Amino acid sequence: MQKTRKLLSMLLAIALLCSLFIVPASAETVELPRNETLYFAGIQWGSVNGWNPLSDDMNNGMAITQNAGGSRSIMFETLYMYNMLDGSLTPLLADGDYVWNDARTEITVKIKPAAKWSDGTAITAEDVAYTFATSVKIGNARGNSYKPFIETVEAVDDSTVLIKAKLNDEGAAVNPLQMITYLEEAYVFQKAWVEAVEARSGDDPAAVKRDLGEDVVWSGPYTKYYADDQKVVFVRDDAYWGQDASMWGTLPVPKYIVHTIYADNPAGETALKAGEVDVCQQFIANIQDLWLKDGLPISTYMDEAPWGICVNMPTAYYNLDKPVLQNAALRKAIALAVDYDAIIQNAMTGQSPSFADVPRSLMNPTAGEQATFDHEAVKDLQWAGDDAASAIAMLDAAGIVDTDGDGWRDIDGEKISLNACCPNGWTDWMAAMEIVAAAGEKIGIEITTEFPEWSVYQTVVTAATQDQYDIFMMWTDSAAPTQPWGRVRQLMSSEFVGVEGNWSGNWGHFSNARADEIIAAIPSETDEAALKALYTEAVQIYLTEVPSFSLMYRPNMFHAVNESVWTNFPDASDGRNIPPAICVDGYGIAALYELELVNP
Amino acid sequence: MKNTIRQVFHSPKFVVGFCIFMAILLTMLVYPFINPGDPLKMIGLGTFAEPGTYVSMYDSVGAPFSTFKIPDADVKRLDKLLTQEDRAKMREWLELAQVDVSELDVGDMDSLLAMWKQHYDPEIRIPGMIKAVRNYYIRLNNSILSASVSDTLKVTDTDEATGETIEKTKISKTDYVNVDDVANVISLPLGTDNFGRDTLKQLVAACGVSISIGLIAGAVATALGLLLGLLAGYLGGWVDDFIMFFTNIFTVIPSFVLLILINYSINQDQRGAGTVALVIGLTSWVWTTRSVRSQVISLRNRDHVNLSRLSGHSLPRIILTDILPYIASYVMMAFILQVSSGILAEAQLSLLGLGPKTTEVPTLGLMMNWAMLYSAHLNGSWWAYFPVILVIALISFSLNLMNTGLDQVFNPTLRE
Amino acid sequence: MKGYRKYFGKKLFWFGITFIAALLLNFTLPRLMPGDPVSMIVSKQAQGLTEASAVKAIYDNYAKEFGTSKPMIEQFFTYVGNLFKGDMGTSFSQYPRKVADIIGSAVGWTLGLQLPAIIMGWLLGNILGALAAYVRKGFDKVLMPMTLFFSSVPAFGMAVTLLVIFSITLKVTPVAGGYGYDMIPNFSWNFINSVLQHYQLPFWSIVIISIGGQAIGMRSMSIYELNADYVKYARFLGIKDRKIVGYVFRNAMLPQVTGLALSLGTMVGGALVAEIIFSYPGLGTTMYQGIKMMDYPLISGTTLIITVMVLVATFVLDIVYGFIDPRVKAAQFE
Repeated sequence: MQKTRKLLSMLLAIALLCSLFIVPASAETVELPRNETLYFAGIQWGSVNGWNPLSDDMNNGMAITQNAGGSRSIMFETLYMYNMLDGSLTPLLADGDYVWNDARTEITVKIKPAAKWSDGTAITAEDVAYTFATSVKIGNARGNSYKPFIETVEAVDDSTVLIKAKLNDEGAAVNPLQMITYLEEAYVFQKAWVEAVEARSGDDPAAVKRDLGEDVVWSGPYTKYYADDQKVVFVRDDAYWGQDASMWGTLPVPKYIVHTIYADNPAGETALKAGEVDVCQQFIANIQDLWLKDGLPISTYMDEAPWGICVNMPTAYYNLDKPVLQNAALRKAIALAVDYDAIIQNAMTGQSPSFADVPRSLMNPTAGEQATFDHEAVKDLQWAGDDAASAIAMLDAAGIVDTDGDGWRDIDGEKISLNACCPNGWTDWMAAMEIVAAAGEKIGIEITTEFPEWSVYQTVVTAATQDQYDIFMMWTDSAAPTQPWGRVRQLMSSEFVGVEGNWSGNWGHFSNARADEIIAAIPSETDEAALKALYTEAVQIYLTEVPSFSLMYRPNMFHAVNESVWTNFPDASDGRNIPPAICVDGYGIAALYELELVNP
Repeated sequence: MKNTIRQVFHSPKFVVGFCIFMAILLTMLVYPFINPGDPLKMIGLGTFAEPGTYVSMYDSVGAPFSTFKIPDADVKRLDKLLTQEDRAKMREWLELAQVDVSELDVGDMDSLLAMWKQHYDPEIRIPGMIKAVRNYYIRLNNSILSASVSDTLKVTDTDEATGETIEKTKISKTDYVNVDDVANVISLPLGTDNFGRDTLKQLVAACGVSISIGLIAGAVATALGLLLGLLAGYLGGWVDDFIMFFTNIFTVIPSFVLLILINYSINQDQRGAGTVALVIGLTSWVWTTRSVRSQVISLRNRDHVNLSRLSGHSLPRIILTDILPYIASYVMMAFILQVSSGILAEAQLSLLGLGPKTTEVPTLGLMMNWAMLYSAHLNGSWWAYFPVILVIALISFSLNLMNTGLDQVFNPTLRE
Repeated sequence: MKGYRKYFGKKLFWFGITFIAALLLNFTLPRLMPGDPVSMIVSKQAQGLTEASAVKAIYDNYAKEFGTSKPMIEQFFTYVGNLFKGDMGTSFSQYPRKVADIIGSAVGWTLGLQLPAIIMGWLLGNILGALAAYVRKGFDKVLMPMTLFFSSVPAFGMAVTLLVIFSITLKVTPVAGGYGYDMIPNFSWNFINSVLQHYQLPFWSIVIISIGGQAIGMRSMSIYELNADYVKYARFLGIKDRKIVGYVFRNAMLPQVTGLALSLGTMVGGALVAEIIFSYPGLGTTMYQGIKMMDYPLISGTTLIITVMVLVATFVLDIVYGFIDPRVKAAQFE
């Protein structure tokens, strides 16, 4: 008996010792005062790998995210800040507006004299030029994606940057729109620091990208403070150059920015409800319940459904490699029969405008994009869905009927049997595919759902040709200076047909000569009326041929805020023109300078 | 045999467990007749409709009505529109907007409403008021404004041909419709799930699938365990060594880990409920093998077995008549336990996203998984997950009770 | 002592063999999964890329890094070789982080949670079972079915229920994580207090469900022992009741040690799922992330560590059993 007791006490002692180990012995500080800290959720999943912005593998969402819809600029900064509300570019590191040369082949940008690195040295045109050159040299995402459009970035003098376009055969810029996107998407890094990294990596591109960049030099208002598996903490750099009158004239309000790392969406949502998160970039089903039912001080950018600004359209693509799907009547009939309201209610819990509110086109629901085409001209081609009668009539007229009496329609004597696919676990897409399958049943076309794992799905979808998925979902681009041209290209350009590892678009492999001409013409077209005519024609082709059909509208960033501690977040009706970009993306960062405490 | 069964049914624990299990089985069999249809059919738009009875608004407009004069109908109507809390909040707003409310009695609805309508303006920005609260007042104001002021409500329609507005009917405050007269009334005792599917109907179907998964897993595990145990125990020698080699290995590797690894390696397309059941069965035979073996070893040299062997009886016959009956009670108990742990294993796997593929059949684990994915536990949709937990617990409780009951019958020392 | 050494050696041999088998399974099974994990990492960077050759270059780069293009058998030996150097490979989903690094930061949380919880559940279960056997009557009739019911609740069910009751409805405990959202780990009372608060729900949800099984086993064993001949004989000799009871429970405890070893695997499995519900920063959550992200180095890393942990625990229990079981002890002097 005594031995047993001794043993048990020993075991307990070991257990206690083990529990002590979980307290890491590092870190200087302590608790973060709640009313000096702004908490985020939905941006950082899994722990931070490192701080090297030249790499694409740092998994450091809060610090390093370069995005055409507005790059995250709390630690690293871009030349301009994009505002998706009006498509404007506000100078950040740049001084004043950018200037095109007359031939539209070169952009000149001035650098703000006040702009400084965290080590106190001035930001120069040389830094901008070296950042681009290095990105191309080591082949990171930014380098690879701008290499086809930008020939060089040069420093004319310390404060003047010259960006030269890649030229096509006619001597015009390949794509002026992409060059503008570059101005607001690409970060600028310090040349001295980049050189230091290259030196210690022996100029090996892979080693440069693997460097963890603990000594990185930044220019933004915040810097790294602490990071582990459960959170990442940023602290304000009180020497930030932007407090100069030529920029913000002040420092951002919160002293700390913290992103707790949650295991999944529900965990982040719980924290938002508990007031442990101030800004939440997560899809929250039935978000209005948070204030209607639970009475929580939570709100979104807009006070009415769809609660946010939707800028992209998750889309179902038809696989045109399949002979049966080359029949446009069949494609359109299925699209007509789908109950989009059910998808929007179910998959998006109403957080999307309906296709009755914003009729389908290639454009997202923002006013800017909607204005690019002639609504009257495409009115008769649009459909709001759940229209089995018209779909059946269309199929009957096209001679797609049930010839053998088994209840399913046939083409050339063979039963049409399609699958509808999306990655497993992507719940909103899965719900949408179920509803597409239900539409097939209504019009006598057999559609079954299949949900492969994402690792399999993406290999199939991005292949040069595929015969596994008939109807499958992918995303579209969000707002950016290149839009809606980028989306027209993404949905219809035949340049992506037969490309192995195609992550760019047209996953259904549609090709249409006229559409390609339009896509080629738009970027260099400067005449408003001609541009509108081109866009309208593109929409007409898209709605007639139906190579794919959008299922819902969706925001790029979800933007829910809890006003337990902080208030004065941007909203649609406040007239400040700050976009719902979670207070840190593009011009959205302006919100950080205007936050107020609820209880000062 | 008869005697044993009688004994078994005299054990109160067994009887209670048996009754619970039978009640679940009975519900499973009967309920589909009461409420027929596909349990995976999405009937509702939107997610998580609350439990209750839903009456079609459209149908109730045209339905025959009776007139009732209920004295407190108006009070109830107002209470539904404005709770006591809302009224206190309205007073608070008026105070903040520097309206003199010293005279105001919150109990007096009319004066409160009058004062509200007179002073409230959504454009007024009260310093320090957060957006969420401002939005609350705007919503409150809208619902006050939209509440019908007149005693009758007109229902109108538009003539498609002429575009004219036609008055269809008038509804008075005192009109009541008998629920039986409304063509469409749906009763959803457990509301709907994240896909808008009838939760109760799905739960009943899932229960059946999960129990069959448990039965298949239990049967596979018991059969395999029994066979290997008998072989190892009775034959001994290298067969025993060989079987025990694997048994020893799989005893220590947690079966949970094995389940995860195997299920992970099977592509989701092929992961039907049957496959998952089989995999669960194939990873849980170890303990049965071990105990059957040790019991067979102790039986092997008993006199009656030796006698049988001397009489030249064949191996299958000896096993069937001289060994199996002695371990049958044990095997039965092991089977029951394995059914219960099979059901549990499916649920745990599904929760990790490694269960059977969705949309084919519902299982208890998949229901739980979807409820968690849509954070039902956080948004108060208890009906989507709690009944599932309860049902799993009840099934496994009933099986465990039966097992304990059997234990007491077969081990007389444990009897009360 | 020689006999004991033999017992120890035999056990050690078996654990060695099992470890090798576990290693093989851990390596092979996740790799059978269809789909190309390398293209997963590539996909993250390739979005928006328009040049196919650029994508191909990125792909080849990673395929080389992970060695996925080599034959399986070669990959296995590299894997084992690296393992002995403490290198479990590189995570796909958290590239370029090392799996060993990810697991290293999770393992402490899981050990600190599960070890005390399982021991606590075992102790409470045994005490309850012993009481039920000794007192019987009402205690046995009411309490035993109740513990049995609680142990029938699946681990995740208990976790969700406790979470909803205590964190969401009553708001007395934190909802998720291992320590306060407004803290940075340090050695202050505030921090330890916060860790302890976050510890409560995961801890008790494991304890509550593990009590039942142990209690029932202990009750059966105790009743069995109480009715044994030696007890009657001792009573006949007039030995004090308390002393007899001491003997009885000591004897009944012995099989319970083995019982713990048997149920360890199941308990750990359940507790890992409970971790996920609470977003507890342990191995369960890590494994769940691996599964969601199709990160097989991470999955085989976590499952291997779990297996090793269970192996070691079972081994320790076996050794403990050898020390306290008089029969094994007797064998040492043979």
